[in-house]
Amino acid sequence: MIKLSSSFEIARPPDQVFAALVDPAVLQRCIPGCEELKAIGPDAYEARLNIGVAGLKGRYSGRAELRDKHPPESFTLSFDGKGTPGFVRGTAKVRLAAEPSGTRVTSDAEVQVGGLIAAVGSRLGDATARKLAADFFRQLATEIGA
Amino acid sequence: MYPVPFEYFRPTTLDEAVKLLAQHGDDAKLLAGGHSLIPAMKLRLARPKAVVDLGRISNLNYIRETGGRLAIGAMTTHAEIAASSLLRTRCPLLPETALHIGDMQVRNKGTIGGSLAHADPAADWPAAILALDAELEIVGPRGARTVKADRFFVDLLQTAVGPGEILSEIRVAPTPRSVAYVKTEQKASGFALAAVAAVIDGRTVRVAVTGVGATAYRAAAVERALSAEGLLTAERIALAATHAADGIDALGDIHASPEFRAHLAQVNARRALTRAIERR
Repeated sequence: MIKLSSSFEIARPPDQVFAALVDPAVLQRCIPGCEELKAIGPDAYEARLNIGVAGLKGRYSGRAELRDKHPPESFTLSFDGKGTPGFVRGTAKVRLAAEPSGTRVTSDAEVQVGGLIAAVGSRLGDATARKLAADFFRQLATEIGA
Repeated sequence: MYPVPFEYFRPTTLDEAVKLLAQHGDDAKLLAGGHSLIPAMKLRLARPKAVVDLGRISNLNYIRETGGRLAIGAMTTHAEIAASSLLRTRCPLLPETALHIGDMQVRNKGTIGGSLAHADPAADWPAAILALDAELEIVGPRGARTVKADRFFVDLLQTAVGPGEILSEIRVAPTPRSVAYVKTEQKASGFALAAVAAVIDGRTVRVAVTGVGATAYRAAAVERALSAEGLLTAERIALAATHAADGIDALGDIHASPEFRAHLAQVNARRALTRAIERR
């Protein structure tokens, strides 16, 4: 189990950030390497990703589910995916806090990685996850005009 | 695992290699020593449709001194740099760093250009290149351009080498003997948990760190603390070295937490500076 924490500030109020974070159309445009994201039920999605950094990428497909939604303060995201280099599953607790300059989004994730990526990719795993999170929030900020 | 099928090209000139890159765009990957790309392809983390092997381009492998600068071709292997008597006399940090890379097999095949262009956050060369304030020559469809080391490493696995471009040469100024590279390595992979390169040249002190952040970096706060007049006493170095990870978002993994990596950066900065001074 890997713990990944990240925190970003977006110059928009929490209700707008929350709405964007649970909007599949927005997510598809913001998640790095997201090729497809479709709703398969209320707050449940199926996604295909081609994800990684530089030339090192893996293809994944899987499901994600939003739980414990408390707009505009928090939600929990659970995900389960598998792909060519292994599998990834976990949960992320996402919290939004109002700040004078907008919203601080904090995400604490517990991720389980298995298969080849666990054996070999672990050295770059943390760095890659951080970069992807930073890319996601940068794109989200552009998306909601912050 | 076998890599996914790919086309293999073996150009004999840089021009030809640049043209192949232009033809294949994002689907192409350059092959240097193959010690990062080939494992990634076997794991299918990298799936280039075209591999452009630089191994048969004859004029990319050299070490020479011209116009007061030392020039190293991008395809020069770590072992060749470690064994170079010219570099041992004129720029000893490079052979010292080379000996810390991987094992003998890796050093015999892996190249300085391949390592720099891959920009692994725990690779050894980035620290040395930054501490030497090197210049890197990049060749592309519009000719050659030069980038300073402190502008070269952009982000995780990302450098100033753009799509369609090839890193061709590394140039450094000669230094005195007062240099050192001190590394704490992950025992299985040989990659740096934290490593520090230090160069003391007259009043100039340059310190660079690899293995700690998403890219290697110059430890500006350490350098600042040592730039003022006065002797570089042990106390002053110890104090300056505590700033070796200032402002850096340190990485963590199963081998070392972010806090431990930052701590190692400080300890190794002190050791590298101390050793460099002892060698004066």
